[in-house]
Amino acid sequence: MVTPHDAGLAVLELKGIGKEFGAIRALHGVDLRVSPGEVVGLMGDNGAGKSTLVKIIAGNFPPTHGEIRFDGKPVHFVRPIDARTVGIEVVYQDLALADNLTAAANVFLGRELKRKLGPFALLDHKAMAARALELFGELRSETRPHDLVKQMSGGQRQAVAIARTRLSNAKLVMMDEPTAAISVRQVEQVLSLIHRLKEQGVAVMLISHRMPDVFAVCDRVVVMRRGEKRADKAIGDTSPEEVTSLITGAKEAA
Amino acid sequence: MMKKELGLFLLLAVISAITGAINPAFLSFVNLLNMANLIGLFGVFALGEGLVIITGGIDLSLGSMFALLGVVFIDLLTTYQVPWPFALLLVLMGGLALGGIQGFLITRLKMQPFIVTLCGLLIYRGAARYYTSDSTRGFGYGDEASTLSNIASGNVAGIPNTFIFLIILAVILGVLLHRSVYGRWLYAVGKNEEAARFSGIRTNLVIATAYVISGGLAGVSTVLFVFYTNSVSPSSFGNFYELYAIAAAVLGGCSLRGGEGSILGIVLGTALLQVLQNLVNILGIPNSLNFAVMGTVILIGVLADQQLQARRRRKAALAGLARTAPKSKEPTIRQSASPHGAAALPTSAGDQA
Repeated sequence: MVTPHDAGLAVLELKGIGKEFGAIRALHGVDLRVSPGEVVGLMGDNGAGKSTLVKIIAGNFPPTHGEIRFDGKPVHFVRPIDARTVGIEVVYQDLALADNLTAAANVFLGRELKRKLGPFALLDHKAMAARALELFGELRSETRPHDLVKQMSGGQRQAVAIARTRLSNAKLVMMDEPTAAISVRQVEQVLSLIHRLKEQGVAVMLISHRMPDVFAVCDRVVVMRRGEKRADKAIGDTSPEEVTSLITGAKEAA
Repeated sequence: MMKKELGLFLLLAVISAITGAINPAFLSFVNLLNMANLIGLFGVFALGEGLVIITGGIDLSLGSMFALLGVVFIDLLTTYQVPWPFALLLVLMGGLALGGIQGFLITRLKMQPFIVTLCGLLIYRGAARYYTSDSTRGFGYGDEASTLSNIASGNVAGIPNTFIFLIILAVILGVLLHRSVYGRWLYAVGKNEEAARFSGIRTNLVIATAYVISGGLAGVSTVLFVFYTNSVSPSSFGNFYELYAIAAAVLGGCSLRGGEGSILGIVLGTALLQVLQNLVNILGIPNSLNFAVMGTVILIGVLADQQLQARRRRKAALAGLARTAPKSKEPTIRQSASPHGAAALPTSAGDQA
């Protein structure tokens, strides 16, 4: 296990991140380091600033204050594509998959493989299906590339969404409530998918309300409250009870 | 997805056979060529409408576009004596521009497609009537554009050029929609625009392009219709034609919710509509029932399609249960289950032409 603060190179480093929407202060002075292969749980009640933080890291909007460093270099994201270019991928809660397309098509959405036919570039269905199958294999998922996403279970959909992040060799994957809307058995699958990512040296930020999941896979837990970071502890140094009291504000900070 | 087209084709064949049996004139060469001509005329802009519908939008302005572009086109050729290649180019550019404006309003200014194109319908019609003071424009006795007229309304070995245009455009758009990256994005945007945007697709551009293509095809259709009727009366030219296109697309398997449909389906839908119109005449059904027949067939067709899909889904769900029941993870299981699964899940949009 990588301990949080001694790891040499952080993949993501936030310094004093703040965000205001008009008069509303959504985030204030957030510092955060995430190392390669580390799984960080990001917890907090609704409105605590988790989503705002994730959206800033994902490039949905820029922070009002502070600095983001990725792989040691300062970065400025204007659009989500900028964050993706450096290697940040987000797996959204509602999964952001196109139901009418196949698993393979979704994995490659926006990054389709093409084959040249004279002056025209056509979709290379075969290559995409083969590569998607490989990715599902790496994730030990039984998802079939040619199946339509609308016919898949929640766990399989997660596998498709996570395979997307593997395709781009993302260095940081942020997962927004991946276990919120799926059955207990599929939660196991998703947690094992997170382990696969960790094995491959990918840093994972897990945004979740589910305490057991966070304690099952995370190396470290970060608690947000009222737009500020209230705790940042190795999972072994804390307990679900402490985290709960930090989230609710019963305990101010740790 | 092929199943839908196959069903539609069978429906077309059955209706044609029955009509032909009742009145052999239906299958006469002359009547078939006449129908081919109409299918060509109405199919070209239905293709554009189909693309727009796949994005989850709608284009109600087509008929009025024909009127506006039509009077301008005839005026360019007759009053201003513009050489026909320039007039043709201007009309096509006009169609692309109108489509572009609508696409801009819908994607950049976030207006609803229905509203934007409904206003387009009203504005273009009004502009056409004002421009001509509500008088019919037609060609004089001179042969202002006999070359173009021959291209637009002529035939090759008896086959109407309009039908040939439709086939060529359908093939081009078929490749675009089913084989190119743009087509894949169009389906994704139509079903889940947010997902497409998160995937790095410039969704506004993809959607706006569909309206531009629709406008461009409306320009092509304008020219074809102008040489079909040889005159344009601004208050009635192209009236309700957008509804023919929508009907053809829906009949051809496009969902108004977006993300579904195919070029082949749209062409078959157009063909079915024209066959229905034709059989009303041929079978001596009162012409006033024309629209009622069309409406009834579309209603029944869409209903039947929904029922079939629901049945297929239930079957697929059962097959899925059967698949997961023996909890084995050997690849052999997967292989044996795969053909079964593939048969149960035939709808993979965008993968087949």
